[in-house]
Amino acid sequence: MDQNYTFMFYGFLVAWLVVIIYVISIALRERKLRAELDRVKRMVDDREHEPKR
Amino acid sequence: MSFLQQALAIAGKDLRSEIRSKETVNASLSFALVILMLFSFAFDPGSDQVREISGGLLWLVYAFAGTLILNRSFARELVNDCLDALISSPASGAQLFFGKCLANYLLLMVVECVSFPVFIIFYNARWPARWGLLFLVMLLGTWGITVIGTLFSAMTVNLRLRELMLPTLVYPMLIPALLGAIRLSTVLIAGEALETDDQIWFKLLAGFDVIFTVLSLALVEIVLVG
Amino acid sequence: MRLKIILALSVLSGLILSWNLHTMFLKVPDELNQGAIFRIIYFHVPSAITSFAGFFLAMFCSVGYLIKKDLRFDSVAASITEVSFAFTTITLITGSIWGRIIWGIWWTWDYRLTSFFICWLLYVGYLMLRRAIDDPTTRARLCAVLSIFACVDVVIVWKSIEWFRTQHPGPVLSIRSGGGMAPGMEAPIWWNFLALVMLATVLVLIRMRQEAMQREIDTMRRYAHAF
Repeated sequence: MDQNYTFMFYGFLVAWLVVIIYVISIALRERKLRAELDRVKRMVDDREHEPKR
Repeated sequence: MSFLQQALAIAGKDLRSEIRSKETVNASLSFALVILMLFSFAFDPGSDQVREISGGLLWLVYAFAGTLILNRSFARELVNDCLDALISSPASGAQLFFGKCLANYLLLMVVECVSFPVFIIFYNARWPARWGLLFLVMLLGTWGITVIGTLFSAMTVNLRLRELMLPTLVYPMLIPALLGAIRLSTVLIAGEALETDDQIWFKLLAGFDVIFTVLSLALVEIVLVG
Repeated sequence: MRLKIILALSVLSGLILSWNLHTMFLKVPDELNQGAIFRIIYFHVPSAITSFAGFFLAMFCSVGYLIKKDLRFDSVAASITEVSFAFTTITLITGSIWGRIIWGIWWTWDYRLTSFFICWLLYVGYLMLRRAIDDPTTRARLCAVLSIFACVDVVIVWKSIEWFRTQHPGPVLSIRSGGGMAPGMEAPIWWNFLALVMLATVLVLIRMRQEAMQREIDTMRRYAHAF
């Protein structure tokens, strides 16, 4: 019965771990996307205000 | 030209090209023989255990060797923009797809028919009494592999990781057809009687073939053209 | 507005899950035969239903994309598939742990676990295909077709593996013990299911926002190169 509780704990732990890891990966991707968006916006601004050759 | 005439024209083109070069069939056949040999190291040939896994062994060999043929199917058209030419020809995507299916089917059946006697010899199995039924199982199972494989070959043809993606996508899809074929082949090769339970596998194979043929013909235009 | 929905759903989901934890550990007694491990069912079954439903929802969105050619349908399909993939992983691992206690083995080719493993493989294929294609329109088109095929296949796989495994009787991981559960024990499953569905919705909405951001980046990049 003791072993039962240990494994039940592991089971719950795993379930939550997968969710947490997924949420963290989403958050990291969000950060990467924002940085990319800012970079591209800056690139567009630069190209728009470049003196016409 | 009717649907079938167009499809047969394309099938004829592929088969003619293959007969002249013999590259795909040779590679596929050698691969099949190598796998048969490798499996002989894993399992003791001639033992009773082999009788139980004979169907599984056979269909794994067919599935792996078939991937080589299916991969080449659309990949051979990439050279000199032949694929673009075919897509812009009057033949519709469905006709192109069906023609390629027919060609691949014939090539795969050739490989299977040659490797089956080799399997019998290598694994000391007896030629099945009901070889007609076994041939029917091969016909049905191979069509399932061909249809799914050809569609995914069309899908992955323009990807960098084509050789990697095709097996990854195709094998999970094929599992029901392989299950049915394996179960029936094991029973028939062992010479046992087909129980009424086993007839459900024939229905599964036929149903699988029909459903995925219709689905593929409906969606292949979107895959090829957009 | 959407941010408010996301926040509200997360809070609600968190509340229900916490309340459920209280119910699960303090109110529901240990099951007769299985002991404490039985409680894993409260995560295993809702995850399983959520992940299975994902296939069908993704297929509807894929069909929607093929008809309307609107990339937003593709974003929804991709988001749902990704979230369902996470839940399928949870289902497999919790099922495996449950099996370890009940059967003493980490894995068995029981028909439910096998079918779910195949679902997992089909999801992996979809996610790999998404990564392998750069052009958004081609990616949406091919992934939509794959999604439709995968959904049809899942139905066939489920039935065929059930037949295969019942012909070769092996260990059958039956969550239901004795053909049903005491009424007090069943309710937390459905509450947890509600909470997990809300959590899944939150994750899908967040992913959809990210896909919209990616589309904006692609558009701006094309605009920048037009100079």
